[in-house]
Amino acid sequence: GKNSDTVQKDPPLAGTEPKNAPNTNEVVASYLQLKNALANDNAKEAAIAGKAVSEAVQQMNNAALNADQRKLYDDVKEDMQEHGEHISTNEDKIAHQREHFDMLSAGMYDLVKAIGSEQTLYKDHCPMYNDGKGANWLSETKEIKNPYMGKKMRTCGSVKEEMK
Amino acid sequence: MMSRLKAMFGALLLLIIIIQFIRPARNNSGQAPIADISKQFNVAVEVQRILKASCYDCHSNNTYYPWYTNIQPIGWLLANHIREGKAELNFNEFGNYSRRRQLSKLKAIGNSIRDGSMPLSSYTSVHADARLSKETKAIIIEWVTSVRDNLEKK
Repeated sequence: GKNSDTVQKDPPLAGTEPKNAPNTNEVVASYLQLKNALANDNAKEAAIAGKAVSEAVQQMNNAALNADQRKLYDDVKEDMQEHGEHISTNEDKIAHQREHFDMLSAGMYDLVKAIGSEQTLYKDHCPMYNDGKGANWLSETKEIKNPYMGKKMRTCGSVKEEMK
Repeated sequence: MMSRLKAMFGALLLLIIIIQFIRPARNNSGQAPIADISKQFNVAVEVQRILKASCYDCHSNNTYYPWYTNIQPIGWLLANHIREGKAELNFNEFGNYSRRRQLSKLKAIGNSIRDGSMPLSSYTSVHADARLSKETKAIIIEWVTSVRDNLEKK
Protein backbone atom coordinates (compact mmCIF):
# COMPACT_ATOMS: atom_id res chain seq x y z
CA GLY A 1 0.00 0.00 0.00
CA LYS A 2 0.97 3.65 0.06
CA ASN A 3 1.99 3.56 3.70
CA SER A 4 4.63 0.94 3.04
CA ASP A 5 7.45 3.56 3.11
CA THR A 6 6.87 4.37 6.75
CA VAL A 7 6.49 0.70 7.60
CA GLN A 8 9.74 -0.25 5.91
CA LYS A 9 11.79 2.14 8.07
CA ASP A 10 11.27 -0.17 10.99
CA PRO A 11 13.51 -3.25 11.08
CA PRO A 12 11.56 -6.23 9.79
CA LEU A 13 10.13 -8.28 12.59
CA ALA A 14 10.69 -12.00 12.73
CA GLY A 15 7.80 -13.70 10.98
CA THR A 16 6.83 -10.60 9.04
CA GLU A 17 5.15 -11.61 5.81
CA PRO A 18 6.99 -10.73 2.62
CA LYS A 19 5.35 -8.19 0.35
CA ASN A 20 4.08 -10.79 -2.11
CA ALA A 21 2.73 -13.04 0.62
CA PRO A 22 -0.28 -14.98 -0.59
CA ASN A 23 -3.46 -13.56 0.80
CA THR A 24 -7.05 -14.58 0.50
CA ASN A 25 -8.53 -11.13 1.20
CA GLU A 26 -10.20 -10.65 -2.19
CA VAL A 27 -11.46 -14.21 -2.35
CA VAL A 28 -12.85 -14.01 1.19
CA ALA A 29 -14.47 -10.60 0.57
CA SER A 30 -16.23 -11.69 -2.62
CA TYR A 31 -17.24 -15.02 -1.09
CA LEU A 32 -18.84 -13.25 1.88
CA GLN A 33 -20.66 -10.92 -0.50
CA LEU A 34 -22.01 -13.99 -2.30
CA LYS A 35 -22.96 -15.70 0.95
CA ASN A 36 -24.88 -12.64 2.15
CA ALA A 37 -26.65 -12.23 -1.18
CA LEU A 38 -27.87 -15.84 -1.00
CA ALA A 39 -28.90 -15.40 2.64
CA ASN A 40 -31.02 -12.45 1.46
CA ASP A 41 -32.49 -14.49 -1.43
CA ASN A 42 -30.92 -12.01 -3.83
CA ALA A 43 -29.95 -14.04 -6.89
CA LYS A 44 -28.96 -11.01 -8.97
CA GLU A 45 -26.43 -9.84 -6.41
CA ALA A 46 -25.25 -13.42 -5.94
CA ALA A 47 -24.55 -13.57 -9.67
CA ILE A 48 -22.36 -10.46 -9.48
CA ALA A 49 -20.52 -11.78 -6.43
CA GLY A 50 -20.10 -15.20 -8.06
CA LYS A 51 -18.20 -13.59 -10.90
CA ALA A 52 -16.08 -11.69 -8.38
CA VAL A 53 -15.19 -14.93 -6.57
CA SER A 54 -14.21 -16.55 -9.83
CA GLU A 55 -11.92 -13.65 -10.72
CA ALA A 56 -10.46 -13.33 -7.24
CA VAL A 57 -9.48 -17.01 -7.16
CA GLN A 58 -7.86 -16.69 -10.55
CA GLN A 59 -5.98 -13.50 -9.68
CA MET A 60 -4.95 -14.47 -6.17
CA ASN A 61 -1.31 -13.76 -5.56
CA ASN A 62 0.09 -17.27 -5.48
CA ALA A 63 3.79 -16.72 -6.13
CA ALA A 64 4.85 -17.36 -2.55
CA LEU A 65 2.82 -20.46 -1.74
CA ASN A 66 4.67 -23.32 -0.10
CA ALA A 67 4.44 -26.82 -1.56
CA ASP A 68 1.38 -27.90 0.41
CA GLN A 69 -0.44 -24.64 -0.24
CA ARG A 70 0.40 -24.88 -3.94
CA LYS A 71 -1.02 -28.36 -4.16
CA LEU A 72 -4.23 -27.27 -2.49
CA TYR A 73 -4.52 -24.12 -4.60
CA ASP A 74 -4.05 -26.11 -7.81
CA ASP A 75 -6.71 -28.54 -6.67
CA VAL A 76 -9.35 -25.92 -5.81
CA LYS A 77 -8.60 -23.15 -8.32
CA GLU A 78 -10.39 -24.34 -11.44
CA ASP A 79 -13.19 -25.93 -9.43
CA MET A 80 -13.92 -22.73 -7.50
CA GLN A 81 -13.71 -20.65 -10.67
CA GLU A 82 -16.28 -22.88 -12.34
CA HIS A 83 -18.68 -22.68 -9.42
CA GLY A 84 -18.35 -18.89 -9.40
CA GLU A 85 -19.08 -18.76 -13.12
CA HIS A 86 -22.12 -21.00 -12.79
CA ILE A 87 -23.46 -18.80 -10.02
CA SER A 88 -22.91 -15.72 -12.18
CA THR A 89 -24.73 -17.16 -15.22
CA ASN A 90 -27.77 -18.40 -13.27
CA GLU A 91 -29.17 -15.19 -11.88
CA ASP A 92 -32.70 -16.49 -12.41
CA LYS A 93 -32.12 -19.83 -10.66
CA ILE A 94 -31.24 -19.33 -7.02
CA ALA A 95 -31.63 -23.05 -6.22
CA HIS A 96 -28.98 -23.82 -8.81
CA GLN A 97 -26.75 -21.06 -7.45
CA ARG A 98 -27.03 -22.64 -4.01
CA GLU A 99 -26.00 -26.06 -5.34
CA HIS A 100 -22.80 -24.51 -6.63
CA PHE A 101 -22.36 -22.44 -3.49
CA ASP A 102 -22.35 -25.69 -1.50
CA MET A 103 -19.45 -27.07 -3.56
CA LEU A 104 -17.71 -23.70 -3.65
CA SER A 105 -17.85 -23.49 0.14
CA ALA A 106 -15.99 -26.80 0.49
CA GLY A 107 -13.14 -25.40 -1.60
CA MET A 108 -13.29 -22.12 0.26
CA TYR A 109 -12.91 -23.87 3.61
CA ASP A 110 -9.87 -25.83 2.42
CA LEU A 111 -8.33 -22.72 0.89
CA VAL A 112 -8.68 -20.71 4.11
CA LYS A 113 -7.41 -23.67 6.15
CA ALA A 114 -4.29 -23.91 4.00
CA ILE A 115 -3.50 -20.26 3.33
CA GLY A 116 -5.34 -18.45 6.12
CA SER A 117 -7.54 -15.39 6.34
CA GLU A 118 -6.87 -11.98 7.90
CA GLN A 119 -10.50 -11.82 8.88
CA THR A 120 -11.84 -14.22 11.52
CA LEU A 121 -14.26 -16.62 9.89
CA TYR A 122 -16.76 -19.12 11.24
CA LYS A 123 -17.55 -22.44 9.66
CA ASP A 124 -21.30 -22.89 9.92
CA HIS A 125 -23.38 -25.97 9.30
CA CYS A 126 -26.92 -26.31 7.99
CA PRO A 127 -28.27 -29.80 8.74
CA MET A 128 -31.30 -29.53 6.46
CA TYR A 129 -29.85 -28.72 3.04
CA ASN A 130 -29.23 -31.53 0.52
CA ASP A 131 -32.26 -33.51 1.72
CA GLY A 132 -30.91 -33.72 5.22
CA LYS A 133 -27.31 -34.53 4.24
CA GLY A 134 -26.31 -31.05 5.35
CA ALA A 135 -23.99 -28.38 3.99
CA ASN A 136 -21.40 -25.95 5.32
CA TRP A 137 -20.56 -22.33 4.67
CA LEU A 138 -18.16 -19.70 5.96
CA SER A 139 -19.35 -16.54 7.69
CA GLU A 140 -17.82 -13.39 9.13
CA THR A 141 -20.31 -13.29 12.00
CA LYS A 142 -21.16 -15.60 14.88
CA GLU A 143 -24.78 -14.90 14.21
CA ILE A 144 -26.29 -17.44 11.78
CA LYS A 145 -27.55 -16.16 8.43
CA ASN A 146 -28.30 -19.25 6.41
CA PRO A 147 -27.41 -18.85 2.68
CA TYR A 148 -29.03 -22.17 1.72
CA MET A 149 -32.46 -21.60 3.23
CA GLY A 150 -32.54 -17.82 2.87
CA LYS A 151 -35.08 -15.68 4.62
CA LYS A 152 -37.57 -18.46 5.26
CA MET A 153 -35.20 -20.19 7.72
CA ARG A 154 -32.65 -17.52 8.32
CA THR A 155 -31.28 -18.67 11.68
CA CYS A 156 -31.24 -22.40 10.97
CA GLY A 157 -27.77 -23.82 11.55
CA SER A 158 -24.88 -23.67 13.99
CA VAL A 159 -21.25 -22.55 14.28
CA LYS A 160 -18.90 -25.54 14.03
CA GLU A 161 -15.51 -23.89 14.04
CA GLU A 162 -13.85 -20.55 14.53
CA MET A 163 -11.11 -19.94 11.98
CA LYS A 164 -8.49 -17.33 12.76
CA MET B 1 -44.94 -5.77 -56.22
CA MET B 2 -44.96 -9.34 -57.46
CA SER B 3 -41.48 -9.07 -58.91
CA ARG B 4 -40.13 -7.63 -55.67
CA LEU B 5 -41.50 -10.58 -53.70
CA LYS B 6 -40.00 -12.94 -56.23
CA ALA B 7 -36.64 -11.26 -55.89
CA MET B 8 -36.79 -11.55 -52.09
CA PHE B 9 -37.62 -15.25 -52.20
CA GLY B 10 -34.88 -15.74 -54.71
CA ALA B 11 -32.37 -14.05 -52.43
CA LEU B 12 -33.54 -16.09 -49.45
CA LEU B 13 -33.28 -19.32 -51.40
CA LEU B 14 -29.81 -18.39 -52.55
CA LEU B 15 -28.80 -17.63 -48.96
CA ILE B 16 -30.10 -21.00 -47.78
CA ILE B 17 -28.16 -22.72 -50.51
CA ILE B 18 -24.98 -20.80 -49.76
CA ILE B 19 -24.98 -21.55 -46.04
CA GLN B 20 -25.18 -25.27 -46.80
CA PHE B 21 -21.55 -25.04 -47.89
CA ILE B 22 -20.42 -23.58 -44.58
CA ARG B 23 -20.02 -26.71 -42.53
CA PRO B 24 -18.67 -26.76 -38.97
CA ALA B 25 -15.85 -29.18 -38.20
CA ARG B 26 -17.04 -32.54 -36.92
CA ASN B 27 -16.55 -33.55 -33.32
CA ASN B 28 -14.95 -36.91 -34.03
CA SER B 29 -11.48 -37.26 -32.54
CA GLY B 30 -11.10 -40.81 -33.86
CA GLN B 31 -8.68 -41.43 -31.02
CA ALA B 32 -9.00 -43.93 -28.21
CA PRO B 33 -10.19 -41.92 -25.20
CA ILE B 34 -7.43 -42.84 -22.75
CA ALA B 35 -8.72 -40.48 -20.07
CA ASP B 36 -12.34 -41.64 -20.42
CA ILE B 37 -14.32 -41.92 -17.20
CA SER B 38 -14.61 -45.70 -17.71
CA LYS B 39 -10.81 -46.09 -17.47
CA GLN B 40 -10.71 -44.70 -13.94
CA PHE B 41 -14.10 -45.57 -12.49
CA ASN B 42 -16.40 -48.53 -12.54
CA VAL B 43 -18.96 -47.97 -15.30
CA ALA B 44 -21.38 -50.87 -15.71
CA VAL B 45 -22.40 -51.84 -19.26
CA GLU B 46 -25.93 -50.51 -18.78
CA VAL B 47 -24.63 -47.20 -17.38
CA GLN B 48 -22.21 -46.89 -20.29
CA ARG B 49 -25.05 -47.49 -22.76
CA ILE B 50 -27.19 -44.76 -21.18
CA LEU B 51 -24.31 -42.27 -21.03
CA LYS B 52 -23.44 -42.90 -24.69
CA ALA B 53 -27.07 -42.58 -25.82
CA SER B 54 -28.01 -39.51 -23.76
CA CYS B 55 -24.82 -37.59 -22.89
CA TYR B 56 -21.85 -38.39 -25.12
CA ASP B 57 -23.08 -36.50 -28.19
CA CYS B 58 -22.29 -33.21 -26.44
CA HIS B 59 -20.06 -34.35 -23.57
CA SER B 60 -17.34 -36.34 -25.34
CA ASN B 61 -14.95 -36.04 -28.26
CA ASN B 62 -17.13 -38.22 -30.45
CA THR B 63 -20.57 -37.17 -31.63
CA TYR B 64 -23.02 -39.28 -33.60
CA TYR B 65 -24.44 -37.14 -36.41
CA PRO B 66 -27.93 -37.99 -37.75
CA TRP B 67 -28.60 -36.97 -41.40
CA TYR B 68 -30.42 -33.72 -40.56
CA THR B 69 -27.34 -32.32 -38.81
CA ASN B 70 -25.95 -31.86 -42.34
CA ILE B 71 -28.57 -29.15 -42.91
CA GLN B 72 -27.51 -25.65 -41.91
CA PRO B 73 -28.12 -23.89 -39.62
CA ILE B 74 -28.99 -27.07 -37.62
CA GLY B 75 -25.38 -28.19 -37.86
CA TRP B 76 -24.16 -24.82 -36.58
CA LEU B 77 -26.49 -24.91 -33.58
CA LEU B 78 -25.35 -28.42 -32.79
CA ALA B 79 -21.67 -27.45 -33.06
CA ASN B 80 -22.30 -24.65 -30.59
CA HIS B 81 -24.02 -26.98 -28.12
CA ILE B 82 -21.15 -29.45 -28.40
CA ARG B 83 -18.54 -26.75 -27.81
CA GLU B 84 -20.30 -25.55 -24.67
CA GLY B 85 -21.11 -29.06 -23.50
CA LYS B 86 -17.52 -30.25 -23.77
CA ALA B 87 -16.19 -27.22 -21.93
CA GLU B 88 -18.57 -28.02 -19.08
CA LEU B 89 -18.03 -31.75 -18.91
CA ASN B 90 -16.12 -34.12 -21.17
CA PHE B 91 -16.48 -37.81 -20.28
CA ASN B 92 -13.56 -38.65 -22.57
CA GLU B 93 -11.28 -36.38 -20.52
CA PHE B 94 -12.73 -37.01 -17.10
CA GLY B 95 -9.55 -38.76 -15.97
CA ASN B 96 -7.59 -35.53 -16.49
CA TYR B 97 -9.72 -33.54 -14.05
CA SER B 98 -8.48 -32.84 -10.53
CA ARG B 99 -10.08 -35.01 -7.86
CA ARG B 100 -12.06 -32.05 -6.57
CA ARG B 101 -13.36 -31.22 -10.03
CA GLN B 102 -14.33 -34.85 -10.54
CA LEU B 103 -16.33 -34.76 -7.30
CA SER B 104 -18.05 -31.53 -8.36
CA LYS B 105 -18.85 -32.89 -11.82
CA LEU B 106 -20.31 -36.10 -10.41
CA LYS B 107 -22.51 -34.12 -8.07
CA ALA B 108 -23.58 -31.81 -10.90
CA ILE B 109 -24.44 -34.80 -13.11
CA GLY B 110 -26.70 -36.18 -10.37
CA ASN B 111 -28.33 -32.80 -9.78
CA SER B 112 -29.00 -32.08 -13.45
CA ILE B 113 -30.45 -35.55 -14.10
CA ARG B 114 -32.60 -35.28 -10.98
CA ASP B 115 -34.01 -31.85 -11.82
CA GLY B 116 -34.36 -32.73 -15.50
CA SER B 117 -32.19 -29.88 -16.81
CA MET B 118 -30.11 -32.51 -18.64
CA PRO B 119 -30.27 -33.86 -21.28
CA LEU B 120 -31.45 -30.57 -22.84
CA SER B 121 -35.08 -30.68 -23.95
CA SER B 122 -34.10 -29.14 -27.30
CA TYR B 123 -31.89 -32.19 -27.81
CA THR B 124 -34.32 -34.87 -26.63
CA SER B 125 -37.13 -33.37 -28.72
CA VAL B 126 -35.30 -34.57 -31.84
CA HIS B 127 -33.25 -37.45 -30.31
CA ALA B 128 -35.98 -39.72 -28.96
CA ASP B 129 -33.48 -42.40 -27.95
CA ALA B 130 -31.65 -39.93 -25.71
CA ARG B 131 -34.68 -39.36 -23.48
CA LEU B 132 -34.31 -40.72 -19.96
CA SER B 133 -37.08 -42.74 -18.34
CA LYS B 134 -37.71 -42.79 -14.62
CA GLU B 135 -35.76 -46.07 -14.48
CA THR B 136 -32.73 -44.92 -16.48
CA LYS B 137 -32.61 -41.71 -14.44
CA ALA B 138 -32.51 -43.78 -11.26
CA ILE B 139 -29.68 -45.93 -12.66
CA ILE B 140 -27.54 -42.87 -13.44
CA ILE B 141 -28.25 -41.18 -10.11
CA GLU B 142 -27.38 -44.36 -8.20
CA TRP B 143 -24.21 -44.77 -10.23
CA VAL B 144 -22.91 -41.18 -9.70
CA THR B 145 -23.69 -41.43 -6.01
CA SER B 146 -21.68 -44.63 -5.59
CA VAL B 147 -18.74 -43.37 -7.69
CA ARG B 148 -18.75 -40.17 -5.68
CA ASP B 149 -18.88 -41.95 -2.32
CA ASN B 150 -15.95 -44.15 -3.33
CA LEU B 151 -13.91 -41.21 -4.54
CA GLU B 152 -14.58 -39.26 -1.36
CA LYS B 153 -13.14 -42.09 0.73
CA LYS B 154 -9.86 -41.99 -1.22
